[in-house]
Amino acid sequence: MSSSADKSPTRVAPVASLALERIVRSPASLVENLPIGVYTCDRDGLIVQFNRRAVDLWGRTPVLADERFRFDAAFALQEPSRTPIAFDRSPMAQVLADGQSVRDREMILLRESGEALTVLVNVDPLLDEQGSLVGAVSCFQDIGELTQMKSQMREGRRIGRRVMEALPVAVYTTDADGKLTYFNQAAAALWGFAPPLGEQQWCGSWQIALPDGTPLPHDQCPMAVAIQERRAVVGPEAVAVRPDGTRVPFMPYPTPIFGSDGEFIGAVNMLVDLTEQKRAGAQQRGLIDELNHRVKNTLATIQSLAAQTMRGSTNPGDKTFEGRLMALSRVHDQLTRNAWEWADFATIVHDTFAPLRGSANSAVQVSGPSQRLKPQSALAIAMVLHELTSNAQKYGALSTPAGSVALDWRVDGTRLIVEWREQGGPAVTMPHKRGFGTRLIERSIAHELGGRPLLEFTPSGVHCMMEIPLPG
Amino acid sequence: MTEADAGKHLLDGLSVLVVEDEAIISFLLEDMLGELGAADIRHAGTVAAALICIDERQPDLAMLDVNLGGERVYPVAERLEAAGARFVFTTGYGKSGMDARWAGKVVVQKPFAADAMVAALRAALAQ
Repeated sequence: MSSSADKSPTRVAPVASLALERIVRSPASLVENLPIGVYTCDRDGLIVQFNRRAVDLWGRTPVLADERFRFDAAFALQEPSRTPIAFDRSPMAQVLADGQSVRDREMILLRESGEALTVLVNVDPLLDEQGSLVGAVSCFQDIGELTQMKSQMREGRRIGRRVMEALPVAVYTTDADGKLTYFNQAAAALWGFAPPLGEQQWCGSWQIALPDGTPLPHDQCPMAVAIQERRAVVGPEAVAVRPDGTRVPFMPYPTPIFGSDGEFIGAVNMLVDLTEQKRAGAQQRGLIDELNHRVKNTLATIQSLAAQTMRGSTNPGDKTFEGRLMALSRVHDQLTRNAWEWADFATIVHDTFAPLRGSANSAVQVSGPSQRLKPQSALAIAMVLHELTSNAQKYGALSTPAGSVALDWRVDGTRLIVEWREQGGPAVTMPHKRGFGTRLIERSIAHELGGRPLLEFTPSGVHCMMEIPLPG
Repeated sequence: MTEADAGKHLLDGLSVLVVEDEAIISFLLEDMLGELGAADIRHAGTVAAALICIDERQPDLAMLDVNLGGERVYPVAERLEAAGARFVFTTGYGKSGMDARWAGKVVVQKPFAADAMVAALRAALAQ
């Protein structure tokens, strides 16, 4: 090892190649091969040394110790904000003036061609053995790509924000503690105010309530649950109470956010305003209520017309007529409750026997599951059950305390199988004339619904089997 | 014996106001009330007419159709309640179509089952 190398803090291992040894032993050739621009100025700022990379960056080769390239060989220097920097104010000039290092100074280097490079500059003073300033060395590197990446990230964030802002749905984010970090315009509009970022916790609403009006503390809101339990939550529906007292029903969709290393960093929540949906639902209910009102008034009008027409007659038909009308009205009620989409067979059975009182009611045994029927099937079967019941009250098992009715039903694949069996009533004989009930059972079950009825007048009582096709 | 038969004298001597906008339906109500013994039966088809009837003479009992051709009967109910008079609502809507304020009141469904009507009037008179 040479004595000059001993003084240097740079450590050099013995090397086999002579060419490589020449390079590593000579500071000048080492500097020449660095991938960053390096140049040295003397005390007056005149360039006394530079490397190849510096020439690449400057876009020209300075003349050594030449007044025209004092402090720097760039064509011009600027701040990142594009404000010009005079050469005698450059980092190199500063270091030569005050002897203090300049670290990681970002600036723009302009070439003679007008091309601009973003560079990161580090300048260190050079001292002699007595500690007097003799010059300075500048290392500078092109950070354009890095800067571009940073600005792309900034732009990406800006676009993200703009996308969130443009969404017509309320969106906000929180940090891992649930403190608000962002909300969009739609969120502020839903809340009716702009909550303070970094302070408000869990949700930006002024107050939250459950749909029934019970206040919901912020730390129990769905977003708080999602953050505390680190899982996405959907709902439940809640109501945002605004500072002005107005209320907005909404459905929350809070979701935790995890960083690329899996660390929990916060959460995002989307609030879907349900006002319009509620209004449409109320409107539909209003229309169905109105339809029901019209139909019921029409049924009452028909009831009145029948009563006026039959007034004074001793015909017991008015009771029978009222019974049939009420049966029709009851199944109508059930269909109305279900938006005229379906009616439950078990409920139809219950409604059929509900008007029976005392012993007649306790003489009825029913058993079977809930089963949805289409409106047409529901209307037909309700009328048939009414006829069977009123017949049993007049002539059959329900006309005597000893009699009973068993009504069983089950679902077999795509058919509902209903069995009506009377027992213990007066001895039954085949009627001479086919009445309304018999005809209704045959016509509506067989022809209207495409089912298969079996009606028997056995000595022990009426027995009726009906198979009703169910919608697929 | 059915409820309707048991109610033969339920309204004996009582004055009843029927508020119903559809004439044919009001005939039925008047007949039914008459069969239950009501002596003095008056009829009104609108809220305004009903209020005039009440001003003239307060009825012992009233039957109020909820929807009078789009107009709600509630102002009449409020007047009767303030005066301590008894009344039942008649409606095709069912309870769900009624204002929550009157949820505790007796409601008779249209069309009218005689038994249900007697039960409702009995309940209203007991209130």
